Amino acid sequence: MASILVIDDSAYARSKVRDFLKLDGHAVLEAGDGARGLKVARDSPPDCIILDLIMPEIDGFKILSALHESAPKIPVIIVTADIQDSVRRQCIGLGAAAFIHKPPKEAELRETVQTVLGARKQ
Amino acid sequence: MTSQPTLRHIDALKEFINIGVGKAASSLNEMVNFPVTLHVPFIKVLEPEQVNVELAELGRSRLASVTLGFDGAFTGKAALVFPPDSASRLVAVLTGEEPGTPDLDSVRAGTLNEVGNILLNGVMGSLGNILQERINYSLPLYSEDTVANLITSGNMTKNTVILLVRTDFIIRQLEVEGNIILLFTVGSFDSLLSAIDASS
Repeated sequence: MASILVIDDSAYARSKVRDFLKLDGHAVLEAGDGARGLKVARDSPPDCIILDLIMPEIDGFKILSALHESAPKIPVIIVTADIQDSVRRQCIGLGAAAFIHKPPKEAELRETVQTVLGARKQ
Repeated sequence: MTSQPTLRHIDALKEFINIGVGKAASSLNEMVNFPVTLHVPFIKVLEPEQVNVELAELGRSRLASVTLGFDGAFTGKAALVFPPDSASRLVAVLTGEEPGTPDLDSVRAGTLNEVGNILLNGVMGSLGNILQERINYSLPLYSEDTVANLITSGNMTKNTVILLVRTDFIIRQLEVEGNIILLFTVGSFDSLLSAIDASS
């Protein structure tokens, strides 16, 4: 079991991700905007972060860059509706551990989280 | 002088849009677990006042819509449009709330915004990938209005030339129908045609 922070402005999207993660017994923290997400990541560092890209105020790219600077050891999985190859490359370049298209498939999300958490322990 | 699309441009764009809408339909199918039937896209070059005429058959009553502005290689607006009853049924299926209840109303805008975000990004992102052009999006915006106000608001002057793309879809088992509408405005229109030429 791990603690996982989900940063997404959509309550509907957060609820779907939360339901999938709870199947593996993970403790899920939620943030509905970038500022809150960065604060939670700083105050209660999670084992993994699931991050949306298209958000108001602070978008996912800025959050990813900030996390890469302040908490480079916390793996970040991008879950986004933006399916552009150039966006995927940009996120990986900014340090994302994985990139998943919305809506996330249950098996894909759970396996990706397990892989990322496993890699972190090594 | 703005380039005019040839039949080859229209045919190629129709195919690219088909691929993108297929991606969007696959995402919607993933969300609701029912088949999504697509209709062949309709593409026309129009002046702003003609857009309303073309879209009039969607009705004069208020529609539920999510719009997403885009710029970068191409500029314009993408919209996901539902008759209000279809929107309610879709939200009820996605959230498990009962239609017509206050709980459903409270999650309606947020849920439809996320659906619009996924579907419209699916169409536009696929187009960007095929044409190898980066597209930047605004945040999705949910509203309920007439189709004329939903689609033609914004900075379209009388001289704007518009490429209208419309495709319709239906989820029979849920009695949900909707439309995906894309408007490419002039300027971006030239870059769109250049990108199509470069890709074929």
